[in-house]
Amino acid sequence: MTRQDRPDEPSPGQWGLVALAWVLVGIPLLWGIWTTLQKAAALFR
Amino acid sequence: MAGLLARERIVAGPSFNRWLVPPAALAIHLSIGMAYGFSVFWLPLSRAIGITEPVPCPESMGFLGTLTATTCDWKISTLGWMYTLFFVFLGSSAAVFGRWLEHAGPRKAGVVAACCWGGGFFISALGVHLHQIWLMWLGSGVIGGCGLGLGYISPVSTLIKWFPDRRGMATGMAIMGFGGGAMIGAPLADILMKHFATPTSVGVEQTFLTMGSIYFLAMLAGAFGYRVPPTDWKPAGWTPPSQKSAMITSRHVHVDLAWKTPQFWLLWAVLCLNVSAGIGVIGMASPMIQEVFGGRLIDLPGVSLRELNEAQKAQLATIGAAFAALLSVFNIGGRIGWASLSDYIGRKPTYFIFFALGAFLYTLTPYAGRIGSVALFVAAVAIILTMYGGGFATIPAYLSDIFGTQFVGAIHGRLLTAWSAAGVLGPVLVNYIREFQLDRGVPAAQAYNVTMYIMAGLLVVGFFCNLAVRPVAERHYMSEEELARERGVLEAARAR
Repeated sequence: MTRQDRPDEPSPGQWGLVALAWVLVGIPLLWGIWTTLQKAAALFR
Repeated sequence: MAGLLARERIVAGPSFNRWLVPPAALAIHLSIGMAYGFSVFWLPLSRAIGITEPVPCPESMGFLGTLTATTCDWKISTLGWMYTLFFVFLGSSAAVFGRWLEHAGPRKAGVVAACCWGGGFFISALGVHLHQIWLMWLGSGVIGGCGLGLGYISPVSTLIKWFPDRRGMATGMAIMGFGGGAMIGAPLADILMKHFATPTSVGVEQTFLTMGSIYFLAMLAGAFGYRVPPTDWKPAGWTPPSQKSAMITSRHVHVDLAWKTPQFWLLWAVLCLNVSAGIGVIGMASPMIQEVFGGRLIDLPGVSLRELNEAQKAQLATIGAAFAALLSVFNIGGRIGWASLSDYIGRKPTYFIFFALGAFLYTLTPYAGRIGSVALFVAAVAIILTMYGGGFATIPAYLSDIFGTQFVGAIHGRLLTAWSAAGVLGPVLVNYIREFQLDRGVPAAQAYNVTMYIMAGLLVVGFFCNLAVRPVAERHYMSEEELARERGVLEAARAR
């Protein structure tokens, strides 16, 4: 089945945009989790 | 500009990728989630006049005088009122504006939320500049609180409509952001305050301006990323679950009727009880671990907190803060984890786990304290916190299963008043019971035991409320004509 047969299928460019959007929200979130885990590490020392 | 925000402008085209909607929702939730991290400002603000040391207000100065005084510093307890304002206005604005949101669309709601939340920071910066706490309460507390409510519910309906096959996961991703916002915002605020601090300023005013700008732009980006699916859109090859489960309806209950059904109030109680139990633990996590285990935390078993010297108490305070930080990670993990799991095992069984396992774990924690097992205690409380977060993240999907998707955003908005109620109930229960115990001469290490049993009792009540949830009576569902009329109103709103 080709893409022309499936008009609801997102284009490859859309997947690039999806990746960019997730990177933009993912990086600050991961930084926040990392910072928090560093603080939490005191519990295990 | 009004046209740019209108709902008809954001109906997605056929090749739109639905996975673009969760990051848009996350941009908004990560921004408003900073509400949890506001305590990072209290200490610097408590010495905004004195800079190095707080300047206390004279005893003769009345409450109103302290609100407008420019010569003495605010107390942390006065600043702490911001939290109450946040959660009261979050719940009430979500309840009041939810219906409007369903018609106006998520983009308009997201932009209004960005103006309220970002604008609230700017007003607060003015409040710091003029040293008027009422301006901070009005700015961040009242106006910002309304931004919290609108921002919180803005993506819910849209996400559920885009992900009818994974409602729990979709809303869990967004609501995870609300739990994670403070993880980004609090350390960022700390960095900014250090950067802006001078010998004559604690740097909070400039930090508010900077963070307000960042949040305003991030939330605008999120709002402009929202797209709504065309009416009756379905993922390719997906079969509606209403054909498989009686607990998932394919029909719709009007928001004005939904809150009059027993199901609404049972789910209100489910959320309120789950959140009350969790909030109680979050609020006391740090002092609790220190008082329960005392010297054991620093290899001094048998030594109570009172018997430690100042340096050892400082060590324990660090461990207490680390425990609270660890719990916040479990809180956000539970939001995405439990909500996603609920797509597979069902919403009702998920809450059964929360209430049954939660009650068991609450009764286990006094035992962990008695046998001195820090690991068991930490593990039990961490799992409890996953279920606290999971409760928030799974409720929108539960509502859409019971009441349908047409008004789920507005119904969720009204249900969030349960959160406001829990915000009062949980901490009051924990603090008063603890103080009552201490006044009766119970040792500090055991003062939490009764609290834990009462929390377990709340969860048992929640278990039975969840058990009583049944599909809505046939007469409550909208008829095809009513639904068509409602959608017609939406279409007319779109045309305008």
